[in-house]
Amino acid sequence: MKQDEKEGAARKAVFSPVDNRARVEAVVRRIGDAIELGLIADGEQLPGESELAGQLGVSTVTLREALMALRQQGLVTTRRGRGGGSFVSVPEVPADDRLKARLRGWSTDELRDLGDHWAALSGAAARLAAQRTEPDDLRQLHRTAEELAHTGDAAARSRLYGRFHVELAAAAQSTRLTREQVALQSEIGALLCLVLADDAFREEVADRHRALVSAVQDGAHETAGTLAERCVREPVARLVAVRLGL
Amino acid sequence: MGCSPPLATLDTDPATWVAAQVGGALEAVFAAVAAIRAETEDLLRRAAGEERRPASADLAALRPGLHRQLTGEDLVSGAGFVAAPGLLGDVPAWLEWWQSGADGVVRPLQLDLDSGQSAYADYTHWDWFALPRATGRRAVAGPYVDYLCSDEYSLTLSEPVLVQGRFAGVAAADVYLRHFEAAVLPLLRSLPRPAHLVNARGRVAASADPAHLAGSLTRGPRFGDLLGTARPGTHDGLGLVPCAGVPLVLVLA
Repeated sequence: MKQDEKEGAARKAVFSPVDNRARVEAVVRRIGDAIELGLIADGEQLPGESELAGQLGVSTVTLREALMALRQQGLVTTRRGRGGGSFVSVPEVPADDRLKARLRGWSTDELRDLGDHWAALSGAAARLAAQRTEPDDLRQLHRTAEELAHTGDAAARSRLYGRFHVELAAAAQSTRLTREQVALQSEIGALLCLVLADDAFREEVADRHRALVSAVQDGAHETAGTLAERCVREPVARLVAVRLGL
Repeated sequence: MGCSPPLATLDTDPATWVAAQVGGALEAVFAAVAAIRAETEDLLRRAAGEERRPASADLAALRPGLHRQLTGEDLVSGAGFVAAPGLLGDVPAWLEWWQSGADGVVRPLQLDLDSGQSAYADYTHWDWFALPRATGRRAVAGPYVDYLCSDEYSLTLSEPVLVQGRFAGVAAADVYLRHFEAAVLPLLRSLPRPAHLVNARGRVAASADPAHLAGSLTRGPRFGDLLGTARPGTHDGLGLVPCAGVPLVLVLA
């Protein structure tokens, strides 16, 4: 980009709506999560700037700032010239630092609100599931709880954590709760890696999820609801603690 | 499982008729599944005849047929062939799956089947895959929330695909529950007693009885056993009529 174009872009940024910062963060979060969750593959070329900006409903200036932030996090590399563009680059191991940089994009208030939303979804799902399931319906939840107890890799643990809560919503026989849960997991999934790397906490988590499946199986809906809320609140509380330490 | 013989009493006749109609509606979907199965078996046999492993590109030949099933059969909203892992030479797993959207356009489903990236890559645990594989027979899975393919509350009808006697995957079709309800509700409402349909586990698939809504469980009767005998029964004042040929029971309160 030439110097005068750069200045032009900077001027545009200055005079863009004041919530621009939040939009940049939203775009960084969206693309970052998609990369972290593997929805956009390593090496994949992102669409051109104007196309991507159009798809996300943001200005190209906002998009450029977001790409800049993603480059700083090492998630995107930009090659110039023929065959150039922005490419996804996923580092071998999800680095704590990179995830922490992403967590910095969340305020503690936003995390608390996300936790409230999640607890409402999973608590309601557990209560309904306890009334609407019989043992054959719970095979998938049992399997996920066991895999959660035996998976070493933090990224895989966070994917299983998300899958458990999606399966719980499906066991409630609710399409709406399930869709909401899938959308919510795409927001928080990657961040959970930060708290699930701790083996002691993972043990605790696996035990609590097993207890939750048992409560659902027994039709103990209040116990199931309360346990599901705890399965949500504790990792979120830990995330808030990590956020406050940044 | 054959059709129940028509019963003479006036009280059971309409119920037997409704159960047969419900069975017929799903038989039409099973006919679509059988067509997909036959076409897939032909295709896989041809590859075997050429002494090579089939590849995902071979399955593209199924697309005109799938398109026909999706546009021709009202109840079918998703259809395709789901390969057993390891069947195809070029990919570890594959769904040749097509869906018709609300706009009537038929589109392919693209799933992330890389288990290193997606927690949902393994589809072999779902009833629509596991039941035909385990029993060698056709199956009705659901109602269940299908968060893998359609995001809809669905029934999935499936049949095993066999090549040289070996399980190669399943041919299947999705019926969204809201469409199934629209098809059977007039039948259920025509009955003099509050009526609903349950699957073999007692889960309500459609209902004209506000006390038993779709997705809830009707507890008490052993519906699986009743389907095994294919004969009407009663339980605690409930009338129970198996639907001809399909694993659903008509329950009259």
